[in-house]
Amino acid sequence: MSKSLRSSVRALGLGIVAATLFATGALADGHLSLDGKKIGVAVVGTQHFWDREAFNGAIDRVKELGGEVVPVDGGRDNQVHADNHDILLNSDVDAVISILGDGAVEPKFEALKNAGIPVFTVDHLSPHGINNTTSDNYYMGTTIGRYMADAIGGEGKVAIFNAFEGALRICGIRAGLWKYVMQDYPGIEIMQPELAEAFANAPEDARKKTLDLLSANPKGTIDAIHVGCWDQPAIGIVQALEEAGRTEIKVTALDGGPETLEIMAEENSPFVANVAQQPRKIGSTAATNVARHFAGEKLLPQTFVDVKPVNGPEEAKAVYKELGYGDLN
Amino acid sequence: MSVNSTIAAGHSATLRRAALVGYLPLAIFVVLLVYLSFTAPNYFSFQSLDLILRQAIPTVVVCLGLSAVVMAGGNDVVSGGIDLSIPATAVLSAAIIADQVTNHGTPIALALAMALIAALLVGAANAVLVVRIGMTPLLATLSSSVAVVGIVKVITSSRRINVDHPAVVWLRDGSIAGVSVGVILTTLIFLIFFFAVHRTRWGMNLQAVGGSRDAAEISGIPTGRFLSQSFVVAAFAGGLASMFVLARGSGSTPGTEENLLLEMVLATFLGAAFSPRRVVTLWGAVLGAVLVTALSIGFKSIGVNVFWTGCIKGALILVVVASASLSLKASARGSAG
Repeated sequence: MSKSLRSSVRALGLGIVAATLFATGALADGHLSLDGKKIGVAVVGTQHFWDREAFNGAIDRVKELGGEVVPVDGGRDNQVHADNHDILLNSDVDAVISILGDGAVEPKFEALKNAGIPVFTVDHLSPHGINNTTSDNYYMGTTIGRYMADAIGGEGKVAIFNAFEGALRICGIRAGLWKYVMQDYPGIEIMQPELAEAFANAPEDARKKTLDLLSANPKGTIDAIHVGCWDQPAIGIVQALEEAGRTEIKVTALDGGPETLEIMAEENSPFVANVAQQPRKIGSTAATNVARHFAGEKLLPQTFVDVKPVNGPEEAKAVYKELGYGDLN
Repeated sequence: MSVNSTIAAGHSATLRRAALVGYLPLAIFVVLLVYLSFTAPNYFSFQSLDLILRQAIPTVVVCLGLSAVVMAGGNDVVSGGIDLSIPATAVLSAAIIADQVTNHGTPIALALAMALIAALLVGAANAVLVVRIGMTPLLATLSSSVAVVGIVKVITSSRRINVDHPAVVWLRDGSIAGVSVGVILTTLIFLIFFFAVHRTRWGMNLQAVGGSRDAAEISGIPTGRFLSQSFVVAAFAGGLASMFVLARGSGSTPGTEENLLLEMVLATFLGAAFSPRRVVTLWGAVLGAVLVTALSIGFKSIGVNVFWTGCIKGALILVVVASASLSLKASARGSAG
């Protein structure tokens, strides 16, 4: 067999394999439908890229599957978000997709479950939910821990913004595993008390708190600032470091939306590591899971969506492109 | 027609116009509610009513407190009685209870007592600022609100504290004869306030002070004392609201005071449109609170974007306050002739 013939055969073979995979993939999803179903989609807020993308991802997928959407937005207020579930309960929905939320939503989930309305959560593990779609939070927590430790040469003083470790399980996992990694770096000291960022208007709040932190700790006494569960505060932290001329302090955080990847991609950015999530895919996967549930499939308690670790400006640019946010070069 | 009767007719037309302007906010609300009842699913149902009442509870209780202050201080929003610190006080008390019960294992009755004492202290501070030092209530209570929120942040480290104490769960989920426990307790609190303000000598004097401070002083009522007491009563209402705030949120969450403040001001001054004399009343405040909640729920049920809801609420506050001012001005002009 000539070389060119062999490569043609190989290409044909690959084509068949790809076509088969595509066909089975299509088959696997092809029978799914939310036709005639009314799906409530509750999100804690839509100001942030992550929340908005997960929300829109879920809404678009429900519509694509033929379902009707009842959207409610908590305006970045956990209490309003929780109360919104009462409205969904009152709107005769067939299922609810609930994105984020703290402990205040638990009794609402229970009420929905008791009314026979299945609840599908995003980034919120609940005993009353059918399934939780989320990023691999375990991997996120350990990876960002390793990256941060490397960024400061394995020793130094680190401040952490960690308001939600006790309030949201996903944050408990991410911050908890970050700390687990820190145990193996005896030279790294986590500054006490830990800082607490605000849930709403986080960048500005974190900017002020960082400026206070910098005033209290002169140059050379802080090596890194880490945000335990997300990266909106990191926007304000970087601003504060630039204002104070303290960009030698490394910043690490989690989520990796376009606005934070852009900051990371800047030359000499103090924001050195992140783990990027795929919020739109998370939202749409949750909606697909609703359809799977109605098709009689047994869902696992959690569905994990891949994350992209980001170490340094070059990887920030690459991930920015890979996730379809555009080109930073 | 004589010249005199023409003037009189002119004045009564002005008064009628004043009355119409005063009813404007109410009319807008009625139109909105009718619209919602046609567009929002299940809007007029027992379940919906129950939901509206339950969600209105914290607002109703803080509105009762604000009404007491406005009654004693007078209806003018700037120079009269106002207390913007009640929602922050409610959140402070909620934070104290949550912290004590969850983090320190304090019995809930003791935690509640501590929370109420803290609330009373805020009220006393407001009274000193306004009555002794002579600050404008608006500024004094705005500052104390900021300070109180600061204390909340210190107590909670700006973190959420979950509470799953059976008493709090009962307050959230319990019902007696099909009526939510929270609604029953709030009705009781309302009745106590109503009795105190309308059926006791204290209440009559309080209203007299608000009606005309000079007249009250001439008739020998210690106006300063009543003004001070109104701030303490308001803070106490904030303290009571904390239990409902806690129950609704299954714990204390930083930032809860913002929404509560907006709804309290809107509901209380909207309530004035219900009273024949366009003044803040307890009844009006309660109805106002229920209406505001009904609107919020209605807008969400028909899928209005949450930012628009904020916009609409803000605009409604403007309409309510503006029409109250216009109405007062017009009736002053009408009766001045």
